[in-house]
Amino acid sequence: MKTTYRLLALALLVSGACSFDITNPNTPPLLGANPTREQVQEAVSGLLLGARADYADWALEAGIVGREAYRFDASDPRWIDELLTGPLDPGNIRFGGDHWFEQYRNIRTGHNILKVIGTATALTAQEQDAVRGFVKTVQALDFIAVLDAHGQDSIPIAVSGDPVKDPPAPFETNTVAWAYVSALLDTAENLLRTGGSAFPFQLTSGFGGFSTPATFAKFNRALKSRVEVYRGSMLLFGCGVDGTTCFGRALTILEDPDSSFLSTTAPLSRGVYHVYGTGSGDLANPLFQDTATSIQLVHPSIFTDAESSSAIPRQIDRRFATKVARTAPPRSGGDPPLASDLVWIRYLSPIDPVPIIRNEELILLRAEARLGTGNLSGALDDVNVVRQTSGGLDPIALATWTALTPDEQLNRVLKERRYSLLFEGGHRWIDARRTNRLAQIPIDRPPDPAANFPGDVVHKTWPIPTDEVLARKPLP
Amino acid sequence: MRTRSCLVSVALALSFGAASANAQQRQITGRVTSATTGDAVVGASVAVVGTAIVAATGNDGRFTVAAPEGDVTLVVRRIGFKRKSVSVPAAQSSVDVALELDVFNLEAVVVTGLATGIEQRNVANAVSTVGAEQLTRAPTPTIESALQGKIPGALVQMNSGAPGGGGQITLRGVSTIIGSVDPLIVLDGIVISNLAINNNANAITESRVGGNPSPQDNPVNRIADLNPADIDRIEVLKGASAAAIYGSKASNGVVIITTQRGRIGAPRFHLTQRLGTYALAHKLGFRNWRDSTEAVTGIWADSALIGQLCPASSGCPFFDHEKELFGRHDLSEETFASLTGGTEQTTYYVSGLVKDEAGIAINTGYQKQALRLNMDQRVSDRISAALGANLIHSLARRGLSNNDNTNVSPYIALAFTPTFFDLRSSGGAFPKNVFNSGSSNPLQTLTLMDNTEDVWRYLGTANVAWNAVTTSRNRLRFNAIGASDFFQQRNDFYSPPELWFEPLDGLPGTVVLGKSENRNLNLSGNAVFTHSPEGEAYRATTSAGVQFEERKLNVLLLTGRGLLAGQRNIDLAASQTSEQTIEHTRDLGAYAQEELLLLNERLLLTVGARADRSSNNGDPDKFFFYPKAAASYRLVQPISGVDELKLRAAWGQTGNLPLFGAKFTTDTTSTIEGRVGRIVSKVVGDPNIKPERQTEIEAGFDATLANGRATLNVTAFQKNVKDLLLERTLPPSVGFETQIFNAGRLRNRGIEIGAGWTPIQTAQASLILRGTFFANRTKITELPVPTFQTLGFGTALGTFQIEQGKSATQIVGSVGKDGAGNAIEGVVGDANPDFQVSFSSDIQYRQWSLGMLWDWKQGGDIINLTTFLFDAGRNAVDFVPDGQARRTAFRTNGLTRTYVQDGSYLKLREVTLAYELPEAATRRLFGSKIQRARVSVSGRNLLRFTGYLGADPEVSNFGDQQIGRNIDVAAFPPWRSVFFSIDLDF
Repeated sequence: MKTTYRLLALALLVSGACSFDITNPNTPPLLGANPTREQVQEAVSGLLLGARADYADWALEAGIVGREAYRFDASDPRWIDELLTGPLDPGNIRFGGDHWFEQYRNIRTGHNILKVIGTATALTAQEQDAVRGFVKTVQALDFIAVLDAHGQDSIPIAVSGDPVKDPPAPFETNTVAWAYVSALLDTAENLLRTGGSAFPFQLTSGFGGFSTPATFAKFNRALKSRVEVYRGSMLLFGCGVDGTTCFGRALTILEDPDSSFLSTTAPLSRGVYHVYGTGSGDLANPLFQDTATSIQLVHPSIFTDAESSSAIPRQIDRRFATKVARTAPPRSGGDPPLASDLVWIRYLSPIDPVPIIRNEELILLRAEARLGTGNLSGALDDVNVVRQTSGGLDPIALATWTALTPDEQLNRVLKERRYSLLFEGGHRWIDARRTNRLAQIPIDRPPDPAANFPGDVVHKTWPIPTDEVLARKPLP
Repeated sequence: MRTRSCLVSVALALSFGAASANAQQRQITGRVTSATTGDAVVGASVAVVGTAIVAATGNDGRFTVAAPEGDVTLVVRRIGFKRKSVSVPAAQSSVDVALELDVFNLEAVVVTGLATGIEQRNVANAVSTVGAEQLTRAPTPTIESALQGKIPGALVQMNSGAPGGGGQITLRGVSTIIGSVDPLIVLDGIVISNLAINNNANAITESRVGGNPSPQDNPVNRIADLNPADIDRIEVLKGASAAAIYGSKASNGVVIITTQRGRIGAPRFHLTQRLGTYALAHKLGFRNWRDSTEAVTGIWADSALIGQLCPASSGCPFFDHEKELFGRHDLSEETFASLTGGTEQTTYYVSGLVKDEAGIAINTGYQKQALRLNMDQRVSDRISAALGANLIHSLARRGLSNNDNTNVSPYIALAFTPTFFDLRSSGGAFPKNVFNSGSSNPLQTLTLMDNTEDVWRYLGTANVAWNAVTTSRNRLRFNAIGASDFFQQRNDFYSPPELWFEPLDGLPGTVVLGKSENRNLNLSGNAVFTHSPEGEAYRATTSAGVQFEERKLNVLLLTGRGLLAGQRNIDLAASQTSEQTIEHTRDLGAYAQEELLLLNERLLLTVGARADRSSNNGDPDKFFFYPKAAASYRLVQPISGVDELKLRAAWGQTGNLPLFGAKFTTDTTSTIEGRVGRIVSKVVGDPNIKPERQTEIEAGFDATLANGRATLNVTAFQKNVKDLLLERTLPPSVGFETQIFNAGRLRNRGIEIGAGWTPIQTAQASLILRGTFFANRTKITELPVPTFQTLGFGTALGTFQIEQGKSATQIVGSVGKDGAGNAIEGVVGDANPDFQVSFSSDIQYRQWSLGMLWDWKQGGDIINLTTFLFDAGRNAVDFVPDGQARRTAFRTNGLTRTYVQDGSYLKLREVTLAYELPEAATRRLFGSKIQRARVSVSGRNLLRFTGYLGADPEVSNFGDQQIGRNIDVAAFPPWRSVFFSIDLDF
C-alpha cells in the first residue's frame, strides 16, 4: 500500500524533525555536583530564604498561643478557634500541622549542599569547610524551630536519605534531639574555625557583623548557649542535677567574650536578623500591619502586666511603649467575642527585620544560666541591665532579689524575657513550656456551658503532622 | 526553529499529487421537499449510488446532478430528515423527492474516528449529538450553559454565576484524581485549548495562604470563547471505548464541535437581534437585627457604636447590601448575522456576533465580538479544500468572588457586616467597614476595583481532501489538516489605594497585569479507503493517519503594590514582582482503524489502535498503544411496534497525559535582598511518569419505535483506570511535600439512558419530548499509598479524601467528638450525584412554538462554607434559631455534616416561546425581501428548586475539578436571564 508508506514516511519525518525532549523552562534543576561559586551563593541565599520562610508566621502563631497577640481575621476563624480554643488539627499544613515542613525543607536544602560541596573545584578546602559550617548552623537553627514548636514529642533527625526510596527517618525523643542539635552546633563551629577568614559567599544585611567564619561562629555559639539554657531548664538527660551541667556549658560561652557577642554595653539590638523585602520574589514582613486597619492586635495582658518606673511622672516599661500603641474603638473578633485596643508597632514597615537572636536575649540567657548555677547576684546584674537599659525601669534591689524563692527569681527573669523579646518568636510560650509555667499564661474565655463553649486552653505543644504519622503506618 | 522544521516536514509529506476529472453523461434535475410541511429542503445531498457523484439542493430545494447513462438510484439525505432512495430509469431526467422528518437524528452520520463516520443506526457506541436547534433554543452567555441537560452521561455545571462563563463538562464521572479533568475539545478537526488561566486575584485575596495551594480566582475556561450560533452540531464521545482513537488525551472524553458550512445557492442572510436582561436568581438574604441589645450580645464588642446605629427608639435599620451589590439588571443585547451561499465550486458561511451583557453585580459584564468565515472550495473533481477562520474578542469583567483570607471577597465581607450598618457612599466616600476585620466595604470594593479579562483569539483551519480513487467499488480519500488556535489573554486587576483594606500591608494599592499567550498547533494527515465488493456483501473502511500537536503557553504575571492615587502603571508601584510560567508540550500520534459493515449493513465490526508519544511523558520517545474494538447488530422489526433494535458493545483504552512538569524534580527560587536563592521545590517528580490508562467497556441497545416516532438508548459502562497519576503526600520531614507517580486503580460504573418521543407530528402541530437519565458510582479499587486528602479546608470543615475501597468523591469530616474533645473522623458526604435526569419538550402549533428544558440533579453533597461564614458572623438570614442550631452542632458537637449539604436541584434551564410571523405579515412589516420572521421570548434558569442553603448548588471554588468540585466559599451568585429575540431570514 502506497498510502501506508506515505503515512509512515510522514510519521518518521515529523518524529525525526522535532525534539520531544523539552526541558523545564520554569525552575532550575537540583543543585548538582561541582557547583560554581555562583551556585554556592544561590544555595546559601536559598538557605537563608528557607530559614525565613516560616519564622514570622511562627512568631505570630506562637505569640497568639502564648497570649502576646490576637489575630481577628473573620475569614479564617482558626486564628482564634484553633489556636486559643483548640484542638490543634495536625491534618492541615496550616495551623496545627505547621512549623514542621518548611524547616525540614530547609534542612533538605542544606543536605543537598553538603552532598555536593566536596566536589566544588571552584572552592578551596577551607572554603568548603566554611560552607559546611554555615549549612550545619542553619540546619541546627531549623531543628531548634521544630523542637520549639513540638516540645512534648519526638522528631525525626536522620532526614538526609532519599525522600522516596528510603524509609522515613525514625523518631528520636526530645532529649536525644536537643543533644543532637547541641552537637551539630559544635561540629559546625569546628568547621567554621577551620574555614578561613572569609566566606565564599555574601550574607544578608541581617548578618551585619557576623559575616565571616569567625564572627558567624559567634552566632553559632549564641544558638548553642540558647540550646544549653533550654536543655538545662528542661532538666534533660545529660544536664546534671538541676540542669547545672547545661547551664554551665551556656555560661562558658556567655562569659567568654571570644566566643559570645554578649555585651552589656553594646546595643541590645546587636545580633542576627531575618530580613524582609518587597522586591520581586521577596517576602514582606507579615508581622507588620498598618495600625489604622490592623487585625493583629496585642493581648490586653501585655498592658496590665507591664511595670512602670517609680520616677514621677511614672513611665510605663519602655519595651511596652515602643512596641505597642493604643487604638480606638477597640477591635474584636471570635465567638464568644474577644477584644483589644492595642496594636503592634514592634515592626514599623514591611521591610523591618525580625531578630533571630540578639544581645538582649543573650544577657537574659546568662541571667537564667547564672540563676541555674547559683550565681544569684550575677543573675540580678543581668536582669537589672535589661530592666534599666531596655525598659527604663527601676533596678531590683539585691535584698528584694535574695528574698525571692528560686521559682520567683526565675519568674522575674522570664518576665524580662517576655517584654524584651515581645513578638519576636513566640518566646513567652516557649519559655513557659520549658520552665513548666504554662499555667501562668492567662486564659480569656472560660467554659460557658450555656453557650456550648468549651473554654480556651493553652496548648502544650504542636502535634506531629498527620502525614508524618501516616507515612510510618503500614498500609491498610 | 525546531517547530518550523516540524511544520515543513509535515507540509512536505502531505503534498500529494493532483488528479484527473471524470466524464459525465446526463443531467437529472428535481426538487426535495419536506413530507410533513411541503417546504423546500435546502442543503440536502443527492448522491448517485455506486459513484462518488454528489450534488446539493439550493434555496428552493432544487438540484441538478450529473449521472451516468442507464438506470440509476439516487439517495437523498439531509440532517433532520430520513434518507430516501429513488430509482431513476434511464429515460427519466427529472424526479421530486419528499423527505420524512428525522426528529431524533437516527440517520445522522456520527463520528467514529479522526476521518470516518458512520450512520447513527449502525454506530456501536453511545455517541450523543446535540444539534444547532437544541443549542440555540434559548440565548446563552457561553457555550457550556447551552449544553446543560442535553447529553446523557454528562454533568455540565457552571463554577459560579460570574459573567463570561467558567464551567465544567464531566463525561461519565470521575476518571482521574490529579490528571487533567476536562474533555478534549475538537473543533472542525483540530484540538483547541480549553485552558483556564487565573487572573491572580490572589494578589489581594491571598486565598492560597490558608494552606491550599490551588488557585481560587474563578477563572474562565476558554471554551467560553466559542459562539454557539456558529455551531452546527456537537458530538460527544464519552469514554475510552469511543474515544480510543484520540489516544492519550481522551480519557475524559471528546467533545467534537462542527461549525456551520456554506450552502449552495443564492446568498441567504440571517439576522438575530436579542434584547434582554440578567438578574440575580437567588438571594441569600441576611439577618435583620432586632435592636441594639440583640446586636451587642451578638458578636460585636463596641456597644457605643451599636447604640448609635440601632437607636433605642427605632431598633436596627436594615440595609440590603446584597441587592446593592448584586441587584443590577441592565439591558443586555446581542446581534448575530450570518450570510451563506455559493456555487457547486465554492460555498461560504460568514457570521458576525456582537454581544454586550450586563452583569448582575456592580461593575461586571461580558462583551464579545466574533467573526467567522468558513469556505469550501472544490479545486477539481477530486480535490477540495475546507477553510475556516474565526476571530474572537471577549472582554469579561468578573468582579470578585470565592475564598479569600483578607475579608475582601464580597460575600465574606458581608458575612461579618451587620445589616444595620450602611455601607453606601455619601458624596462619593464609602464608609470604613468597622465591623469587618479587613475593614473592607464590599460596595466600595466592587465599585472601584477593576477585574477585566480581555481575550483575543484566532482559530484557523485548512483541510484539504483528495479523492484519489472513486470507483463504485473502491474509494480512497486523503486529507490533511493544518490548524492553529492562538489566543492572547490579558488580565487587568486593579485594586486602588483608597480601598479600605489596601493600606494593611503598608503598600496601599495593588495592580496585576497578566499576559498569557497560548498557541495550539495541529497538523494531521489521514487516509480513508473504502471497499465494497461486487454484490455489496460488505463494506470495509480502512483509515489511518498521523496527528502532531504542539501546545505552548506562556503566562506572565506582573504585580505592583504601593500605588499613587489614580495611577495604574506598574512601573510607578513601590514594590514590583513578576512571575512567569511556561508550558510546552509536543505530542505525536498515529492510528489505524478498520470498520466492516456486513450482512446487509446490519452488522458492524470495528477494530482500531492508536500509538502516542508526548514530551510530557518521562520517556518522550516511547509510544503508548491504545486499542479499541466494537460491534453492533441491527435487528429489523424484532417484535411488533419496534422498528429496529440495535445491540452494541464496545471496548477501548485511552490515556490521560501527565501534567506538564510532572517528570522534573527541581530547585525553586525566591529572592532575599535582591539575591536569588535556590531551595528544593516541594514536589518530587517522576522521571518515568507515563499516562494513566483507562479501559472502558460499554454495552447497550438503541431501539427505534413507532415508525421512527420514538427512540430509546440504554447504555451501561464500566471504566477501569490504572496507573493513576497520583500526588502522594510524603512524610514532610523528607523536605518535600509530595511525590508524583503512577499507581493505583479506580473503577467507575454507570448507566445512561436517552429517550425521545414524537406523539404528534403533523403539518400543523408537533410535540417532541426528550429525556435523559444518568447515574454512576466511582470507587478507588487500589491505592498503594496511605489515604490522602485532596481539596478542602481541613477535616473540621470537610475535605475530599482518597481512600482505598471508598468512593472517589467522598467527603470526610468530623462526625462527633470523643471523651477528650477530639474530633472523630468519618465520612460526611459524597459529591457524586445519585442520579441526573433531564426532560425537554418542544411543542409547535401553527405559527407558535414552545420549548422547555428541565435539568434535575439528585444528590451530590456540597461543602457549604458560605453558610458556615454567615453563621460565624451570626448574620445568616435564619440565624435565629436555625443558624444557632447549626453553629452548636458544628462547634460543640463537632458535626461537619452541618455544613456539608445536599446539592440536589431541579432547574428550568430553558424556556422559549416563539411565534413565526405569517408570510403576509412578514412582507407587510419587513418588505418583500424578508422570507421568514420569528419573534421569541426566552428565559434561562428561570425556576430553581433546591434545599441547598448556599447561593447555588452549581459551584466550584477551585474551578474545574473532578474530585473537589462542590466547595462553596462566597461564590459569585447565580443569574437568570430573559431575552426577547427577532430572527429574520432574507
